[in-house]
Amino acid sequence: MPMYQVKPVFGDDIKTDLPTCMYKLPNIHAQRSASGCSEHALQNGTEVDPAFRDLEVRQDNIMRRLYELKAAVDGLAKTVTTPDADLDQTVTSLSQSPTATSFSGTADLDSLLGKDLGALRDIVINANPARPPLTLLVLHAMLCQRYRVLSSVHVHSSVSGVPAQLLSCLGPRHADSYVRQRFQLGFTLIWKDVSKLQMKFSIQNMCPIEGEANVARFLFRLVAPYPSDPALATLVDSWVDTAFFQLAEGSAKERSAVLRALNGTLGRDPWLAGPELSLADIACYCCVLQTGPAASSPANVQRWLKACENLGHFGPANPLLQ
Amino acid sequence: MTKDAVQGAAEEADQAQSKKGLKKQQKEAEKAAKKAEKQAKLAADTQSTDEDDFAKDRYGVPQMVQSQQKLDRVLVRVQKLTPEKADQLIWVRARIHTSRAKGKQCFLVLRQQQFNVQALVAVGERASKQMVKFAANINKESIVDVEAMVRKVEQKIESCTQQDVELHIERIFVISQAEPRLPLQLEDCVRPDGEGDEDGRATVNQDTRLDNRVIDLRTTTSQAIFRLQSGVCQLFRDTLTNKGFVEIQTPKIISAASEGGANVFTVSYFKTSAYLAQSPQLYKQMCICADFDKVFCVGPVFRAEDSNTHRHLTEFVGLDIELAFNYHYHEVIESITDTMVQIFKGLREKFQTEIQTVGKQYSSEPFRFLEPTLRLEYTEGVAMLREAGVDMGDEEDLSTPNEKLLGRLVKEKYDTDFYVLDKYPLAVRPFYTMPDPNDKKYSNSYDMFMRGEEILSGAQRIHDAQLLTERAIHHNIDLEKIKSYIDSFRYGAPPHGGGGIGLERVCMLYLGLHNVRQVSMFPRDPKRLTP
Repeated sequence: MPMYQVKPVFGDDIKTDLPTCMYKLPNIHAQRSASGCSEHALQNGTEVDPAFRDLEVRQDNIMRRLYELKAAVDGLAKTVTTPDADLDQTVTSLSQSPTATSFSGTADLDSLLGKDLGALRDIVINANPARPPLTLLVLHAMLCQRYRVLSSVHVHSSVSGVPAQLLSCLGPRHADSYVRQRFQLGFTLIWKDVSKLQMKFSIQNMCPIEGEANVARFLFRLVAPYPSDPALATLVDSWVDTAFFQLAEGSAKERSAVLRALNGTLGRDPWLAGPELSLADIACYCCVLQTGPAASSPANVQRWLKACENLGHFGPANPLLQ
Repeated sequence: MTKDAVQGAAEEADQAQSKKGLKKQQKEAEKAAKKAEKQAKLAADTQSTDEDDFAKDRYGVPQMVQSQQKLDRVLVRVQKLTPEKADQLIWVRARIHTSRAKGKQCFLVLRQQQFNVQALVAVGERASKQMVKFAANINKESIVDVEAMVRKVEQKIESCTQQDVELHIERIFVISQAEPRLPLQLEDCVRPDGEGDEDGRATVNQDTRLDNRVIDLRTTTSQAIFRLQSGVCQLFRDTLTNKGFVEIQTPKIISAASEGGANVFTVSYFKTSAYLAQSPQLYKQMCICADFDKVFCVGPVFRAEDSNTHRHLTEFVGLDIELAFNYHYHEVIESITDTMVQIFKGLREKFQTEIQTVGKQYSSEPFRFLEPTLRLEYTEGVAMLREAGVDMGDEEDLSTPNEKLLGRLVKEKYDTDFYVLDKYPLAVRPFYTMPDPNDKKYSNSYDMFMRGEEILSGAQRIHDAQLLTERAIHHNIDLEKIKSYIDSFRYGAPPHGGGGIGLERVCMLYLGLHNVRQVSMFPRDPKRLTP
């Protein structure tokens, strides 16, 4: 049943001089007279012009294509500059985890380590001078090749008389080290009386990471992506465990068993986890050399040790090996 | 005679009283008589023994020391009383810390500064009954000269610092008598916080202690604190002198305020007024302009801030450093932090007993530091705080709670109680601070923190008269008032930087104490002008 139509009491086009110091509200009378309630709600929901949304989508597409192109060029550049890198490997890993490899620089660290807080991301490692973490020194050198790393060595008050070679183990000071903001990553090594090597990174979100092996895994992920194949990734992890628990801390019997296993694996593959150098090789190399003379190892192991040395990553660890 | 009187009285009352009552009265009277007799006998006895006290020249209160004679007597330090000295006859001058008489023996604890030893007077060949009584009646805190034989003990004396020996006293003379009642007991002063509450024993509050500072300073804790403080000064001087610094003395009565006019004391100076120096800042810088290259200064500093906090005093001792550098002001930071680290190391090596003594009353974690000292930039500090959920602006100054929080965060990540925060926002620093060449928002200035509290504030200073004028105008400072200061940079001034440390704060924070008054011998704050 239609209701009475009542004429508006006053027209909605009255011009009034409003003071500028007040909030502006739409004229409620004008709204009511212009459209019904349901129409009004609809209008609120589609405030964004569809043309704008199209434009945004198109721009996103273009950006994504640009990133992909950049990633492909980066991959190519990598194969050209490092001869033993496998093209297929790079391309597959690229398609599976584009964020890990396709970007470089800050964007890369943002995706790996979380959002940028506008300050240096400082990795703090507490190590006992009685057991210098060789693997981490090697990884530090690799990090330096990839990022701008501010390295510093400190001595904690809990230890005294740290040898000079340990104080300079991260190489000479960077020429820019007086401006911390110019670096992407901080690597702070503190010689301290700790029973287990310890890494502190983001104290708000992470508990301190204990054990050289675990810290090595963390650092290696910043240098290169872990193998995307779960089996291969587990293999790498298991070699790292073997290196630190059986080679470095085990008895003579265990050590020789590991050396035999190494020899067998290295007979089939150039590196411990397939065709590419991985964390497994770095960890095992350091632990083998730390525990005994290289000459006493089996033939394949010796060949592999030579191959490792040829890569040039192990320079920083060498002065600390007797 | 009394007996007769009593009997007479009894006879008078004979009829009124019963036989029983009479007997009772008689007995009582006899008792009283016996008592009186005994007392008379005792008095006579003591008199007679007084006369033949064989040891009467072995104790007593001698004449006041007015330098009548110069004895060739060697007084051994209590600290040196070790088993090596066993069976030697020695002289000691010490205070009576406590005394406890027990029949024919009297145990004393003799104290000398923060060391004490147990001593014993026992009736025997050398000491008479009267001597033991005399020893037991000496008031606490009196100073005595004691001749005694050092004896090894079978069981360690846990309550003393010299645990392996005790003294068998042969002579004891009171050099200075203390009043019998002390305003506060030393034992109450050294009791750790909380322990007194459990036993229901008294604790002395800070104000009572400060009112009776002389007695409070005798406690082992106070002795250790001020010995350590002296060590800080000594190490500061030694380290800097070895680095080629020159110690300077600057005037404390100055004509114009050096940093902001609000917090200076005004003193009347003949017909005009003058101010008490807030820091030797201007004079340090003038010395640099006068080619002294590296200077330091130890002296009083005055702040007229009306803040009654645990870490503010109106007069404290400032350790100020200023040095010219070659190219980068980090040379200054390194020089200062190295000095601090040398001080921390020196304290750890030379003052371990003092640190432990203070730790017995005020327990705290040992002070931890890194070498070289950790340097963080202001933006990093802000980022750490933001990560912890603190909302603050880029150019905002650190508030005291944020300072403490940042200290905790740094301690958690780097495990150091000492660090430098570099590159403060220019807006929050004084006008003479050199701006950062790369970012105009920041400056070449730094603060140093111990246990999350600021101990040093410093910066590279502007050594260019023109830039200095510009910055002064920017801060709305009357150029006329600082004319002589700006003028000193017109005739060639080397780039330089420095900072000032509060001695009391360093001691307080190194020992992990909670109130700066504990480390100030006679503290001055808005409410305290005495003693």
